[in-house]
Amino acid sequence: MNMPVAESRTELLRRIQAEDFALYEVALYLDAYPTNKKALAFYREHRAALMALKEAYAEKYGPLTIYDHNSQDEWQWVKGPWPWEREAN
Amino acid sequence: MWIYDKKLQFPVKIKNPNANYAKIIISQLGGPDGELAASQRYLHQRYSMPYDKVKGILTDVGTEELAHLEMIAAILYQLTKGLSPEEIKKAGMDTYFVDHTAGLYPQAASGVPFDMKYVGVKGDVIADLNEDLAAEQKARVTYDNILRMVDDPDVREPIKYLRQRELVHYQRFGDALRIAQDHLDSKNFYAFNPSFDK
Repeated sequence: MNMPVAESRTELLRRIQAEDFALYEVALYLDAYPTNKKALAFYREHRAALMALKEAYAEKYGPLTIYDHNSQDEWQWVKGPWPWEREAN
Repeated sequence: MWIYDKKLQFPVKIKNPNANYAKIIISQLGGPDGELAASQRYLHQRYSMPYDKVKGILTDVGTEELAHLEMIAAILYQLTKGLSPEEIKKAGMDTYFVDHTAGLYPQAASGVPFDMKYVGVKGDVIADLNEDLAAEQKARVTYDNILRMVDDPDVREPIKYLRQRELVHYQRFGDALRIAQDHLDSKNFYAFNPSFDK
């Protein structure tokens, strides 16, 4: 798996959005075809990629969910920008 | 974006269906102080909220309300599962049944369908947070009223849990209002609206 190196927050976010979309798309497909081997393999591959990217993001730029918070000193969750703000995108 | 967690926030395990209970508890699905109104109120207010901590509180409380909406739906589903047409008629649920069968349609106990009029978004920090404080108290009263009429512990336990969460949310919105006021002119909180004026 290719780990992200020296990416900007926006670049890393774009990769997460792409992987997340791929995973969601195959999940919708698997809802209707739960034994499709090709789709299951696609899911596994992209889930691993997504998890690695999300971990890297949380480490570097703060949590994407309340469950991947790392700092011992401060609750980073409330720090802006929030997703609906232009500078977050 | 949101992710669905395939579990309830608190267990709902009801042994005995009861259409009479379902008829009143449905108000917390689609009534004026119900969980659908709560979730939409907070999740829409957050866009015009200028302070990060308060954006966080509105996001997280609004998200929890979606989990509460699901708990109420689970209670209604289990209370109406396997009822015969006779039982439905006897409980006076036939007027609901004719339009929705055993489907879950967000409405008040009176039969009034869910209305976005229950959702206050004024775009003003002090007005919106006071709306939220009142909303939590009104939801608490609705749960108190439900608890006056429901004896079955299987139903009471999740309702008591939801009632308790209203109190916690009320506390957090109290914090939110204090945080907001700390940003304002202490001599005149209404000198400007930080959601709009720069």
